[in-house]
Amino acid sequence: MSISLPTYSRLELPLLGRRERVRAIIATGLRREFRRPAAIVVTVIGAAFTTITSIVLLFFAPLFLPGQPPDLTFFAVPASNGFVLFFVSLMAAVIGAGLIADDMQSMAFTLYMSRPITQTDYLLAKAAILAPLVAMVTIVPLLLTALVAALLGRVSWAIAVEAMGISLVIGGLLTAFYTAVTLFLSSLTRRKGIAAAGVFAVNFGLTVPAGILATRIGNPSLLYLSPWDDYVAVASVAFGATPTPIDWLAALAVLLGVTVLAAFVTYVRMKAVEVITG
Amino acid sequence: MNGVVEAAAVSKWYGEVLGLNAFTASFGKGITGLVGPNGAGKSTLFKLLIGQLHSDQGKITLLGEDPWNNVSLKRRLGYCPEQNQLYGWLTGQQFVETLLRLDGMPPAKARQEATAALKVVGLSGAAQRPTRGYSRGMRQRAKLAQALAHHPEILILDEPLSGADPAGRVHILRTISDFARDGGHVLMSTHVLYEIERITNNIVLIHNGKAIAAGDIHAIRALIDEHPHAVRIETSKPRQLAQALARMEHVVSFEFPATDTLLVRTRKPDAFYRELPQIVSDTKLEVQGLESPDDSLDAVFRYLVG
Repeated sequence: MSISLPTYSRLELPLLGRRERVRAIIATGLRREFRRPAAIVVTVIGAAFTTITSIVLLFFAPLFLPGQPPDLTFFAVPASNGFVLFFVSLMAAVIGAGLIADDMQSMAFTLYMSRPITQTDYLLAKAAILAPLVAMVTIVPLLLTALVAALLGRVSWAIAVEAMGISLVIGGLLTAFYTAVTLFLSSLTRRKGIAAAGVFAVNFGLTVPAGILATRIGNPSLLYLSPWDDYVAVASVAFGATPTPIDWLAALAVLLGVTVLAAFVTYVRMKAVEVITG
Repeated sequence: MNGVVEAAAVSKWYGEVLGLNAFTASFGKGITGLVGPNGAGKSTLFKLLIGQLHSDQGKITLLGEDPWNNVSLKRRLGYCPEQNQLYGWLTGQQFVETLLRLDGMPPAKARQEATAALKVVGLSGAAQRPTRGYSRGMRQRAKLAQALAHHPEILILDEPLSGADPAGRVHILRTISDFARDGGHVLMSTHVLYEIERITNNIVLIHNGKAIAAGDIHAIRALIDEHPHAVRIETSKPRQLAQALARMEHVVSFEFPATDTLLVRTRKPDAFYRELPQIVSDTKLEVQGLESPDDSLDAVFRYLVG
């Protein structure tokens, strides 16, 4: 007679790769955001408001912007629409600020990281949740404006398509900047309110004083401190409009540098993060 | 060095606070209970084992590997945290499925395994309800389901019975026993020795970040029997429940710290836990949760550490 003891065997499955695991985090994160009324309201109103104001500018350009020719340079106007700055800040604060901070606070991060995913996977997924939502304000309105302009015959299709291409690039730059900076701020704290305040501080706390001081003391170099002014400088040149007082190349370097630095510091920080409680 | 867990002089500081103090132990196969009061270092040890903390000194291995930032090792373990949940709006089914997808399980298989795991822990009936509406015991079972569902080699369970109702406790303990019987390894922490006594004799006592005793449970239990064991019961009718429990000879005292809470002290905790479900069932009184405060175990620890 032989005795056989029970032996535990692991489930051997053809497991899906890293991309699928990242997708699972993105799907859960997006479902979470679309269950939050604040996130939905800010996204819808932000996209609608920036699009509508850009199209209104298009309709009434001869009235508001006398002398503005109906060419590529016109699109620098909707690209520097102040509502973009306002709503991108609001979206980053309402949606982005909690993406990591909430997971840390609720300790959902512990559950995420108890699975075979890396901090890079986690961060990529969080960026992939935030970036498309920010793009609803930074890219989509510019694309729609160019489309409507072509459909109404205000500009040729060739100009509209060129404007769309430039919009994708400069809107993408602004999206990348806000995504990286917001995730960086969200990774610093467990309280999303603090991260949200940080987003507003980065935007208005730099933009407004930099603008006032640059005018008062007559030194436009201070505008490099303002991400919005850096972006407008790049957008103006990209659309062939009159350059702003600061050098677009230096402004581009500031935006790209801060984006890369924020992403890198967030990565290093998350890589070393220890889950203390729970 | 061939234990499931090997810890050699592991220390972990949180700023000036010492979480683990030169902790040295070797946990073998099967079920090992890690017993100690709150703040003893149980959760710190588990966080080190699942790679979410990094030791400041010493060396720790799980299944022969260093856990820190070890992604492949996570496929082999199932972790049940004490307090965490993912998102409360997820149903039990979605909760387990989501975490299985993070393991890289295909969607259809994840659905199937999640359903099976929820059945194992007795949550099939509540699988489609949001977890935020779950009782504490149901949440514990949902967390156990996600830890089990990907068929790990080892389960690391941080206070899995904390706050669970009597029926939930039975389910959880049975599930853990079945897992171990089938060849899996289990590390389970608790601050109630009697909970773990039902499923293993192999325990490690931890206090102030140090392993102060390890081995057979019976000798330690004898010590504990000298100190009345406290059980806090959440019920809408604490006085009626006290009346029913008064017939237990080993019950020493009752207190009513809140309108919905009964604190019982007993000299025979094992008998108390054994008889309680029957009494609750006979009297049809509702019990929302059970918890054991630390003080009885603390007394033993004070004795052990001098």
